[in-house]
Amino acid sequence: MSSGFNPETAFAGAAERFFDMMKSFSAQPGAAAGAVPDAAALAGSLAGQFEQWLRATQSAGPWFSPATGGAGNPAGIAAAFNPGAFTQGSFNPGGGSWPFGPLPLGMGAVTPAEGQRSFELLSQLAQLQAQLAGHWHEIATSAATQFAARLGGLAKGPPTLDGAMKAYELWVDCAESAYGAAVRKDDFARLQSQLANVSAALLVEQRKHAETLARAFGLPTRNEVDALYGQVKELRRELAALAQGRHREPVRKEPERTRVKPRGAKGVSAGRKKPGRGARRR
Amino acid sequence: MARAAADPLGFTDLNARVADTLQRLRQAASVQVGCSAKRAVWSRGKTTLYRYAPLAPSGAAVRAGKPARPILICFALVNRPYILDLQPDRSLVRRLLEAGHTVYLIDWGDADDADRCTDLEDYLEWHLAGCVAHVLQSHDLEALDLLGVCQGGVLSLCYTALHPQQVANLVTLTTPVDFHAGDNLLSRWVRDLDVDLIGATGNVPGEVLNALFLSLMPLRLAQQKYVRLLASGADQRAVEDFVRMEKWIFDSPPQAAAALAQFVRWFYQENRLLHGTLEIGGRPVNLRNIRQPVLNLYATQDHIVPAAAAAAMQHCIGSEDYQGCAIDTGHIGMYVSRAAREQIPGRIISWLRQRG
Repeated sequence: MSSGFNPETAFAGAAERFFDMMKSFSAQPGAAAGAVPDAAALAGSLAGQFEQWLRATQSAGPWFSPATGGAGNPAGIAAAFNPGAFTQGSFNPGGGSWPFGPLPLGMGAVTPAEGQRSFELLSQLAQLQAQLAGHWHEIATSAATQFAARLGGLAKGPPTLDGAMKAYELWVDCAESAYGAAVRKDDFARLQSQLANVSAALLVEQRKHAETLARAFGLPTRNEVDALYGQVKELRRELAALAQGRHREPVRKEPERTRVKPRGAKGVSAGRKKPGRGARRR
Repeated sequence: MARAAADPLGFTDLNARVADTLQRLRQAASVQVGCSAKRAVWSRGKTTLYRYAPLAPSGAAVRAGKPARPILICFALVNRPYILDLQPDRSLVRRLLEAGHTVYLIDWGDADDADRCTDLEDYLEWHLAGCVAHVLQSHDLEALDLLGVCQGGVLSLCYTALHPQQVANLVTLTTPVDFHAGDNLLSRWVRDLDVDLIGATGNVPGEVLNALFLSLMPLRLAQQKYVRLLASGADQRAVEDFVRMEKWIFDSPPQAAAALAQFVRWFYQENRLLHGTLEIGGRPVNLRNIRQPVLNLYATQDHIVPAAAAAAMQHCIGSEDYQGCAIDTGHIGMYVSRAAREQIPGRIISWLRQRG
């Protein structure tokens, strides 16, 4: 299971945010007096919370840093790029380790040119994150406009829990509508791809530095291991081709007795060799 | 009255409800997923083939006087297959077993660094083919019934097109064929992804996929459902059902780099399955080769596999016995919603019974 899953923490986080929203209702000038809430002020308050939430949970960063995201950590493709920024249940921008940048170690210390490339990519990433923040602002503003326009009847009368729940559902509708419209635009889609590409490029840069170290210590590099895998695969293909005309061993019929085995448990192996294309040929 | 006036929004009651729900969630933390007895019968690499224990008398499901063919379920690489057998009252597997079918299930396992070069050809021609061969040989059959789910449905389509003689009937559930059809947000987002670069970085952790799927509707999927749980005053059983779903949603396995890169490029970016330009291991995957009966079940409100993406299958395959079936629910609802529970198992069972 993904490491960060914790429904209790997720629920507590969502409840906390819901309480914040409820406070927005009671904080309206009209609420204390039992009068009609100010729709525009309420929408503005919710929009501010929403934008903050989007910025916090979907700020872009490196792709494959140690992942700690989970149910308590609101989603986002960009959050996926920077899962190290989250701790369980709360956003912690300083909590994630920053895995990129030149490795300063020993014989494999990077050349200035390699370091320069990493810094260029980091700069690109920062620019893309700024663009993303612009989208979050646009989405929150649009959500607020929709909410204020649609609140109408719900704002009539003094605030109640039932009314607050209905307003909450309306707010989610408006926020998702604004989000959905923005993230379907071509420029947003391109931005998401660019964020992923730059993050991946940063990781590849870091791997290059690590490979330099690996070579220095006589360890196999990733490329060498991949080449070995390619050879194994080719051998497997040849074996399959050879086996195709060969008589197949009969498989032992399975007994009807059954029992539960844990995930990953190995059972009876009936022929480990690759069946080949058109395996069941007679 | 005084308290109500001082606390019109009921913060006091809400606080109590939060505490109560948190307590129920704590009690539900160790809830089990996967309910039917099964045993591993074959494995290769990280892939394990399971056979479920029968729940009906032998011969309960028959075709022309003979036992029904075994059903092999091919699930997606990106999620865990236990969603199909989540709990006794939410289990497609269980319904099939109760109808007398012999059910096998493929669990692709967790790709690790040893699998980063495992590609779609490996999954299809080495792992899936191995599962099929095992089932066929165990039952002394020429062909089985294949049930492909989501991405596993795509793999099943490819496999059936490559090895049509081994599949008697094909059932697909939430299976995209046209990756550019409908409102496909995932497809839009990955259109400009540099898949070579992504592939070069290594396996993709499950957490990345989780976050990606949630980000399609972040407020609904990461906040609203918890607030609704709070508002519903769910009892212990409802909370346990909720936690089972949460476990599954956040239990995405890591993805082998090569296979994921190919899937994104070939399917999401280039839409090769629809265009007939897909090749696996140098062999063309021609959906027109699929001439066996096909039952295609998909959801009308699916935000991951739009209905149009799945319905496109009808015009791509060669089968004259095609039946499409749209269910009024969402993607996950296809596995656990009441509509799905009431309609999907019955449709599959009766459709298979009619085809024998």
